[in-house]
Amino acid sequence: MSNRYAIETENLKKTYKGKTHPTLNGFTLRIPYGSLFGLLAPNGAGKTTAINIICGLRKYDSGKVRIQGRDISAGMKQIRPLFGLVPQDIALFPTLTAYENLKIFGGLYGIEKPLLEKRIDQLLELFDLTESRHSFINRFSGGMKRRVNMIAGMLHAPEILILDEPTVGVDAQSRRMILEKLVEINRQGTTILFISHYLEEAQQICSQVAFMDNGSIISQGSPEHLIAEHNICDDLESVYLLLTGKRIRDNT
Amino acid sequence: MKKFRYLLYKDYLLLKRDIAGLLLMFLMPAVLVVLMTLLQESTYRVLKDASVPLLLVNKDKGELGKAIDKEIELSGIFKIDRHIKGKEPTQEQVEREVAGSKYTLGIYIPENTTETIRRNVVKYVMTAFSGAEELPAIDSVGFVIFIDPTTKMSFSSYIMSTLKERTQKIEFEYILKEITRQVNEISPIPISTAGFYGDQVVIDIRNARLEGKDMVPNPVQHNVPAWSLFAVFFIVISLSGSIIRERQEGSFSRLLTMPCSYTEYLLSKAVVFLIVTLLQFGLMLLIGIFVLPWFGLESLNLGSSPMALILLALSASIAAIGYGIAIGNIANTFHQSSVFGAISVVIMAAIGGVWVPTFVMSETLRQISKLSPMHWGLSGFMDVFLLDAGIKAILPECAAMLFFGMVCFSVAITFNYRRRLDV
Repeated sequence: MSNRYAIETENLKKTYKGKTHPTLNGFTLRIPYGSLFGLLAPNGAGKTTAINIICGLRKYDSGKVRIQGRDISAGMKQIRPLFGLVPQDIALFPTLTAYENLKIFGGLYGIEKPLLEKRIDQLLELFDLTESRHSFINRFSGGMKRRVNMIAGMLHAPEILILDEPTVGVDAQSRRMILEKLVEINRQGTTILFISHYLEEAQQICSQVAFMDNGSIISQGSPEHLIAEHNICDDLESVYLLLTGKRIRDNT
Repeated sequence: MKKFRYLLYKDYLLLKRDIAGLLLMFLMPAVLVVLMTLLQESTYRVLKDASVPLLLVNKDKGELGKAIDKEIELSGIFKIDRHIKGKEPTQEQVEREVAGSKYTLGIYIPENTTETIRRNVVKYVMTAFSGAEELPAIDSVGFVIFIDPTTKMSFSSYIMSTLKERTQKIEFEYILKEITRQVNEISPIPISTAGFYGDQVVIDIRNARLEGKDMVPNPVQHNVPAWSLFAVFFIVISLSGSIIRERQEGSFSRLLTMPCSYTEYLLSKAVVFLIVTLLQFGLMLLIGIFVLPWFGLESLNLGSSPMALILLALSASIAAIGYGIAIGNIANTFHQSSVFGAISVVIMAAIGGVWVPTFVMSETLRQISKLSPMHWGLSGFMDVFLLDAGIKAILPECAAMLFFGMVCFSVAITFNYRRRLDV
């Protein structure tokens, strides 16, 4: 393993207690610095487990995980400030205002108060939420909650941003805005790991994608390369269905 | 430390916005302590304020009737009526009045009761002195007591034994008088038993006291600490609920990806809820001192060791917070934690002597009550309020509560670690 990659996993294995089938079975992923990387997988493929392990939220049975060349098994203390997680759930406090939520999350990253306030203002402006800064989260629309959820993961200007389905349940306008901002943030040098079910989104914004199934990566490359490699397909979705099959997967 | 301040800020804001939780934590115990103290006080007052209604008809003009009459009046527990609509009632009327629950007790002493007893005694003594072997025929003596069927068995037994004791004493006096008279008729040296009433043995029943202090609390001394402890333990619903909500909403996972540990996360909650529990104690003590006297109750005397009270409040708070954190980590859903939390706290309160003081419990229940952390706390407060105990005397109770809190805290951390990380 080298430190050429922002995120690097090697032969990661994980079987949950009481289960006989491994959730991760030799999961190897390499995300280059500065890329906007899409991880695409059907339900139950193990992507949430993989993300949780990368973020230090779950233990794994064997394998290696490195963030910017640092092995997470040596401890997460130095690694945590390097990345920001935008979970699929709206991981905010609903009875607090947008500003209070962001102040708390930013404060926990150790950002000094004047810088934190400046950063909150900038990001609220960027995501068109300045006017709603003092409104309670439980009164926000789905799209507004998603945007605040994203800001909370970006307050400390992380070098790596991990987003788990950030456009689920939002309207077309909010989705467009979120994707545009992600591209903008990536252009500024942030490595982005983008997990989504929407393949057209991945094709639209990602510089590289990986398909995951049954706990391991089955194919990886740029969208153009993957489409070209499977010459019967004319878009990423066709490649995805070709590789993962058309059987509906129910997550249990 | 700066990061910890943000965790505190978060927990403070979340608590401040939880109006229902705050009402549960402050209003409920305040209402309960006033209500329960008044209820207990009124129960005591039934006996203290001579308010057991009694219909007494004494047709006997002799000593027995007078003695029973006097005994009942002196007991101080009855509100005595002797007439109905200005007339002395018949035996049937007495029965009707008691059956109609207008009176708890009706006593009907028939005419010539004393005289009949006296005559019977004379017959006995005469027979004894004549050397006859056969017992004489005696006239029956009886007075009737009517008891409201809803009256407690223990109370009617008490009344019966008092009346029986009194009549036996009078019979004994007559026997003694008659024997004296007979002996004086045949003896050259007259004997006298005047002034001898057989009252040499005096039974003095007292409440056990330690160093001159009462061991049994009054309703204020019992209820204020008891419901304070109940309130403090009832925070488990809000505390465990907040842990579960954050876990389910996902904000907990986000916090764990930030540079703060799970222990810091729990400590922040513990500090905020510790302030809540100390405020609860303060509020309840203030109610005991200033509000309960408005209702005609005694003001709470805090004893002479404020430090002991503070230590007890801190220890009980830590026990309750540890318990809440453990439930928040073990339960999977808010429903589970609120149901289990509420029921377990009510059980702890019931066996710990919050509702019914342990000194009126059976021996078995008293032994079981020792398992409840609320009993440990209550026992400490009783030591401070009743015995003027200081810190040293309440250290065992405080140590037990602190140990309980620490065990719960450790269980919470271990349980969370194993579940969250799946190890």
